[in-house]
Amino acid sequence: MEPSILAQQTVNGLVLGTSYGLIAIGYTMVYGIIGMINFAHGEIYMVSAYLTAIFLAVLASFGITSVPFTLVVVLAATICVTALHGWFLERIAYRPLRNSTRLAPLITAIGLSLVLQNYVRLSQGARSQGIPTLLQGSFAIPIDSHGNLIRITHVQTLIVIVALLSMAVLTFIMHRTSLGRACRATEQDRIMASLLGIDTDRVIAIVFIIGAAMAAIAGVLVSLNYGSFDFHIGFVTGIKAFTAAVLGGIGSLPGAMLGGLILGLAESFFAGFVNSDYKDVFAFSLLVLILIFRPSGLLGQPQITKV
Amino acid sequence: MKKTSFYGMVLALIALLAPPAMAEETIPIGVAGPLTGAYAAFGEQLWRGAEQAAKDINAAGGVNGKKIELFKGDDACEPKQARAVASQLTDRHGVKAVIGHFCSSSTIPASDVYAEAGILHITPASTNPMVTERRITTLFRTCGRDNQQGSVGADFVVNKLKAKAIAVIHDKDTYGQGLADSMRAELHRMGKKEVLYEGLTRGEKDFNALVTKLKSVNADAVYFGGLHNEAGPLVRQMKEQGLKATLISGDGIVSEEFVVAAGGPTFAEGVHMTFGRDPRKIKEGQEVVEQLRKTGYEPEGYTLYAYATMQIIAAAITATRSTDGATLAKWLHTNDVPTVMGSKGWDAKGDLKVSDYVMYRWNAKGSYAEVP
Amino acid sequence: MGAFFIQPLITAALVLVLTAPISGLVLDGYRFDLHWQPPLWLALAAFFIHVGLILIRRLLRPGQKAPPQQNSRQIHPTVLRTATILLPLLGLLLPFFLGKYWLTVAILALIYVLLALGLNIVVGLAGMLDLGFVAFYAVGAYGYALGQEYLGLGFWAALPLGASLAAGLGMILGFPVLRMHGDYLAIVTLGFGEIIRLILNNWVSFTGGPNGMRVDSPTLLGLEFSRRAKEGNVPFHEFLGIDYSSNHRHIFIYLILFLVVLATLSLVTRLKHMPLGRSWEALREDEIACRSLGINHVTVKLSAFALGAMIGGIGGVFFAASQGFVNPTSFTFFESALILAIVVLGGLGSIPGVIIAAIVITVLPELLRDFSDYRVLVFGLAMVCMMIWRPKGLVQNRRPVFQRRSA
Repeated sequence: MEPSILAQQTVNGLVLGTSYGLIAIGYTMVYGIIGMINFAHGEIYMVSAYLTAIFLAVLASFGITSVPFTLVVVLAATICVTALHGWFLERIAYRPLRNSTRLAPLITAIGLSLVLQNYVRLSQGARSQGIPTLLQGSFAIPIDSHGNLIRITHVQTLIVIVALLSMAVLTFIMHRTSLGRACRATEQDRIMASLLGIDTDRVIAIVFIIGAAMAAIAGVLVSLNYGSFDFHIGFVTGIKAFTAAVLGGIGSLPGAMLGGLILGLAESFFAGFVNSDYKDVFAFSLLVLILIFRPSGLLGQPQITKV
Repeated sequence: MKKTSFYGMVLALIALLAPPAMAEETIPIGVAGPLTGAYAAFGEQLWRGAEQAAKDINAAGGVNGKKIELFKGDDACEPKQARAVASQLTDRHGVKAVIGHFCSSSTIPASDVYAEAGILHITPASTNPMVTERRITTLFRTCGRDNQQGSVGADFVVNKLKAKAIAVIHDKDTYGQGLADSMRAELHRMGKKEVLYEGLTRGEKDFNALVTKLKSVNADAVYFGGLHNEAGPLVRQMKEQGLKATLISGDGIVSEEFVVAAGGPTFAEGVHMTFGRDPRKIKEGQEVVEQLRKTGYEPEGYTLYAYATMQIIAAAITATRSTDGATLAKWLHTNDVPTVMGSKGWDAKGDLKVSDYVMYRWNAKGSYAEVP
Repeated sequence: MGAFFIQPLITAALVLVLTAPISGLVLDGYRFDLHWQPPLWLALAAFFIHVGLILIRRLLRPGQKAPPQQNSRQIHPTVLRTATILLPLLGLLLPFFLGKYWLTVAILALIYVLLALGLNIVVGLAGMLDLGFVAFYAVGAYGYALGQEYLGLGFWAALPLGASLAAGLGMILGFPVLRMHGDYLAIVTLGFGEIIRLILNNWVSFTGGPNGMRVDSPTLLGLEFSRRAKEGNVPFHEFLGIDYSSNHRHIFIYLILFLVVLATLSLVTRLKHMPLGRSWEALREDEIACRSLGINHVTVKLSAFALGAMIGGIGGVFFAASQGFVNPTSFTFFESALILAIVVLGGLGSIPGVIIAAIVITVLPELLRDFSDYRVLVFGLAMVCMMIWRPKGLVQNRRPVFQRRSA
């Protein structure tokens, strides 16, 4: 095994894993706070990919060509509108079910993801859509003396940097601000939190907004990276991100990122060194194995059952 | 309150269950393909072509004085839906012939239903050999076969490109894997062995791990059996990782969407593919091409194939004055039909007598041209 | 009156902002076309829906909440008894009045009834969230296809084979997941379902991969339901001296399937009142309490898994038989989600609810086929609205209560 190939596969896995991790955060936060698997979250990511392309097209029609400016504006606009989607869905579809059975919101989420997928398909057409290449070029890093090198594109670098930054910001919010405290309190005991004067409905709404915003960051960066998307991408990515969230321990923020990275690396190494036909089989088997030995995921808190 | 709405529902149910009141003058014909789902672009090609043809034929007085009436069937490229659509078309709409099914994996199960109903079934796009190898007498196709595509592809890779390390990749679907297998068989026949034979997952976008693997085996030609949604990101990631290998594929990427999926012409440039002689350049079809372009639709890919298929069905019904599948099939087996794509004739299996696969190359302008 | 419209106006404005980019700016390559109408229509629709909701709420308020109708809802025993006799009879007669298309839909509906009954044991009664139920369905279907291909088994041999294969697999899956709870269980079963599908798709030399496998239709005492029988056999229509019709085969499948569904129904209803069924429900409510009372949670959970899986496997065999063709794309995660939706929409644990929901969920998309473009959208919307309207499902599961007779 050549070191350059090994290094390149590690890079591939890390970049893929980071994008899984960003989306997994949405799953993990919503699960942590209301104990619900938000299956529509993958579709939120898909919507954000479309929004990216649309805002890019709008900016281009104004004749704006400055790449940093475009990037910042598109990122900000996409985050805002996607977050609004997250909030809106919570308001109309999940809040009415707040005190109902555990499975009812799950079914609503499945229904919502069908609705979102088909709404986008009917509005934008079933074609693949593309994004013009904004950042071209890559860093070439020599690995050994034979001239073997690994390539990391600028967009891939950007993905990792932005993901780390947003993780840092999110961790700060959750641990150092009053909003974060309210979130954690609601997570632990919703009734008690509301007795103490926390508007839990508002907190839950904010969690949906944060989750959607993280999915939007992933949506912008990943679409820039692959250059194309269609209305179907939410499903496959959503399942993988959900797997990542559970792998890391659902409810735990660093767990989501860790789960994403492990999943990304596992897929990349298995596809690269064994067989890409069976990479998903390997990824899911790994998940089952890890959960057998650590039933609450890698960083999850074991559930304490009270009698 | 409750009762009325209940009766309303019952009435609506009955209305839907009852066979549609059929006006005597029309000949119902089904058009089936992926109108929704990830491959809806191809379904649209089939529908546009068939619709235009039906319009033109009806404007010219119809078939034996009867108008053609089209029925849409959406299979989303799923075998289960394909069967449901097939029995809906035959049973509820009573179609006399079917143009369609795009994906081979849909055409094969659906063809059993049509054969059982004894109606003519012509696919304009399913190239998997199994479609006609099962010897259903009422089944024809107006496109080529994957083994023909594979041999053109293999010949190009070995003799023109003089590639030393050839990798074969597929999308684990009936069409893609069938095409890749034909290519591989053809390579083996020429005494070459591929350096890598692997599948990727439909619907994914990240193939970086696979590309790095291609790099590690020093592939200089990559044959891909699959559709544009996956071919686009694959070629883009190959170029981003600095892999200088030529990507060759089949007729699954003949759509401008391929350029979009690859992220622009810079990435799509240099990709080769096999496809029938561009139907838009055949002189019989010029008038139709102009007409379609006037409606704002570029008749790429399989649009004209579907148009031609409709003409073939109309010609057979006109000549035999019958809509019985066996009669029509017998006539088609012995007669050639002039279409917008030139004259077409069929062998005993229902395959075209002459297939004309040629190699195309995507250029820097985002369109494709025949390789001289 | 002003306040009446303010909220809907805010909603409409919100919807406008939400939908303006996606449905108003349609991408065309790297440029876009402006379609200003769709967002306005959607906003208008949102406005009227909100007004409607407020109106409904106002109208309902004066009468407070409808009083609990527990007693008036109780169905009279004689009505119930006639229904249990009449409905199966109706079901048996139904196929003779249906065209081929609706016959295939009816078969599919029955298959979903079977699947939902199976999943209902696992999710509804035993309370274990299973997102990979499709795995057992796939095992049943492929059990038949592979058994026919490699062992030369017919439908009647495949039925017990598929059922026991699926049940065995359910046990194997059950062991490792016994330790897990709730959603960890859900994701492991989801992963398991995907693993089965991926293996079926990738193992081309054994399962035919994406090309799928062909399956023969069942026979009645050796009589085949095809136009021409295989060597040495007599086709059904020649044996009876009637004209060939492809409907015969479907009617035959429908009838056996209907009997199997009836058998499963009586099994499940009985189980609910037997110690095993009671312990499933008890375990769902409080595992620790059950274990302290000496209920063996391992056997109880495994039996639920195995029984549910077995019913799923039987459903799979029938699916293969009625389709005549199996292929991995029929066994995606979406299928699991659909079966789960049936169970939840029907009302967890409620058997009549599950049957109604299964029929609705298979027939509704077929009715919507005429609006092909909007089919799935409407289906998804219906799912969301149903859940909000009746979060506990169509028929709420009422547990047998012991009431003291009041004098």
